[in-house]
Amino acid sequence: MAEVVFDQASRIYTPGAKPAVDKLDLTVTDGELVVLVGPSGSGKSTALRMLAGLEPIDAGSVRIDGRDVVNVPSKDRDIAMVFQNYALYPAKTVRDNMAFPLKMRGMDKAEQAKRVADAAELLGLTEYLDRKPKALSGGQRQRVAMGRAIVREPRVFLMDEPLSNLDAKMRVQTRSQIAQLQNRLAVSTVYVTHDQVEAMTMGDRVAVLRDGQLQQYATPSELYDRPVNAFVAGFIGSPAMNLLDLPRSGDGVLLGGVEIPLSREIRDAVGSAQTVTVGVRPEDVAVDSEGSGAGIKAVVDVVEELGSESYLYAHLIDSDGRDDEATTLVVRGPGRTTVRYGETIAVRVDAGAVHAFDPSSGLRVA
Amino acid sequence: MTTTLERPAAPPPASPNTTSSRSARTEGWVRRAPLLPALVFTIVVTQIPFLLTLWYSLQSWNLVRPGSQHFVWFQNYVAVFADSQFRTVALNTIVMTLGSVLIAVVLGLLLALLLDRHFIGRGVVRTLLVTPFLITPVAAALLWKTTLLDPTYGLINFVLGGQTFDWVSQFPLASVMAALVWQWTPFMMLLLLAGLQSMPGDQVEAARVDGAGAWSIFVELTLPHLRRFLELGIVLGAIYLVNTFDAVYMITQGGPGTASANLPFYIYQRAFLGFDIGQSAAMGVVVVILTIIVATFALRLVFRSFGAAGGES
Repeated sequence: MAEVVFDQASRIYTPGAKPAVDKLDLTVTDGELVVLVGPSGSGKSTALRMLAGLEPIDAGSVRIDGRDVVNVPSKDRDIAMVFQNYALYPAKTVRDNMAFPLKMRGMDKAEQAKRVADAAELLGLTEYLDRKPKALSGGQRQRVAMGRAIVREPRVFLMDEPLSNLDAKMRVQTRSQIAQLQNRLAVSTVYVTHDQVEAMTMGDRVAVLRDGQLQQYATPSELYDRPVNAFVAGFIGSPAMNLLDLPRSGDGVLLGGVEIPLSREIRDAVGSAQTVTVGVRPEDVAVDSEGSGAGIKAVVDVVEELGSESYLYAHLIDSDGRDDEATTLVVRGPGRTTVRYGETIAVRVDAGAVHAFDPSSGLRVA
Repeated sequence: MTTTLERPAAPPPASPNTTSSRSARTEGWVRRAPLLPALVFTIVVTQIPFLLTLWYSLQSWNLVRPGSQHFVWFQNYVAVFADSQFRTVALNTIVMTLGSVLIAVVLGLLLALLLDRHFIGRGVVRTLLVTPFLITPVAAALLWKTTLLDPTYGLINFVLGGQTFDWVSQFPLASVMAALVWQWTPFMMLLLLAGLQSMPGDQVEAARVDGAGAWSIFVELTLPHLRRFLELGIVLGAIYLVNTFDAVYMITQGGPGTASANLPFYIYQRAFLGFDIGQSAAMGVVVVILTIIVATFALRLVFRSFGAAGGES
């Protein structure tokens, strides 16, 4: 149980170059599950490894329960980590793998055996205790790695993409198991992933990183509803939000010859700027079934039917009636759609759900 | 001394249908025929000399007394086992082989651990450390006998303050072993370095997070990972070193007495200095049989541990 604080923590691989992690400020409160998410190279794994003591902290500090751990070796930080490739010890049985952190701390044999048995019971590994890792399936290995982390009852769990080597079905299943387990053990957890679905479903709070810099640190719903910039808006949500640089026109912006009204709040914030980056999620764009001809015209390029819903990838037809291949839109439709490739459809944008960003800085305007 | 381990080929599966089995047999011969010359050659150069040696070992035959050759059944073998020098020499062989291999493995491991770290000039150091393995064994032995161990001009005495201690005659077996260890440490080092570098880094990181210090990581992770490399090094080293002849011949000539002689050298002495063909043939046969027994177990060990490793990855 602990509070983890990153205080202006930086990791600089080559002096003078851009830091891998740049002045990260982040607080994980006691018992919270925080997900670090970002594309590859965003510094999320590096940040985790700094907390683990596997990467030096070049500037700033990292504190666990108020104690500065910058110069504390990994083994004295009272943390446990689950690695992407599990990093099980191949020469040891499952039992010895899970007992290893206890043995290294000199715990007596009986207590070790009891803790390993409890953890194995919790994870459904009891019958595999005498096997070597190579005789286990991927999911079982993943659970052994989890078991090795929980036996010691550390103050902080660190997880570095622990699900990325599992198949899709297993990943969904294990995802909820980890979240449940974390809830039950109430141990502060830092979880790294590049998968925004994992981040949204598991995290109490999610930190979005890009190029070593923290973009936004908030609850999943806030990230989704009020992304602070165009990057977060485009990264969170699947399929990604439609982000379009549109010219101002009257009280709104012009898309495919149709004016989309902007709220007073946004208009005040934009001021006299001539273009605005407008973000609309696919579910806030609808196919205009009435066919009144007033909607935005678009030509369907791809239809993805997922059963419960469908996504139409389309490019616009501009006000002069020409194909505008550069401006594309993703539209969510019903599970069964009659729309086919190459068809021209009319779409409507829900003006109340529009996000607006500054075209140059990418920051949210209101 | 050459030993060939032959494994009989699996018999073709018996077929109830005779005509198809006959055509299968023909086809089998067609496929095997191109290999036949190699097989015949191998038999001619290894098995016929061995049979001749067996024949010689049953004769009393000393080249110094022409015409004395006659058949004596197993008297030569009785004499071999009654020969206390043979037992001394056999013991020398064991000490020399195992001692050199084990010392070379330990030194090789230490050097491999050193080279597994990053430091300035690592490439140069590695090249220098490998050099002894590249030198002809005879030249290496000569180097040890004269340049290093010579009582008057030797560098070792020079470094130790200009004394004239005669290393070779005081510690003959150790002197030979020193040369062997010097030559074989680089081999062990390279083998173990390959082993160390194939070790996954995340396991070490996991152990560090789990609370292991450097020594625990070495004992709990590195050594188990290196086990098969150590086994391979020991078996290969032993197979080579049990046949050592050049170092013994160059440094001590097996002396004083038989203090530093090993079996190959002793057999050579009996055959080509004592001209006792019968006795030396009998010794050769005994050594071949013992070597086959030891080598079979040793090779089985190595193949088992590498077979298991194959299943792992």
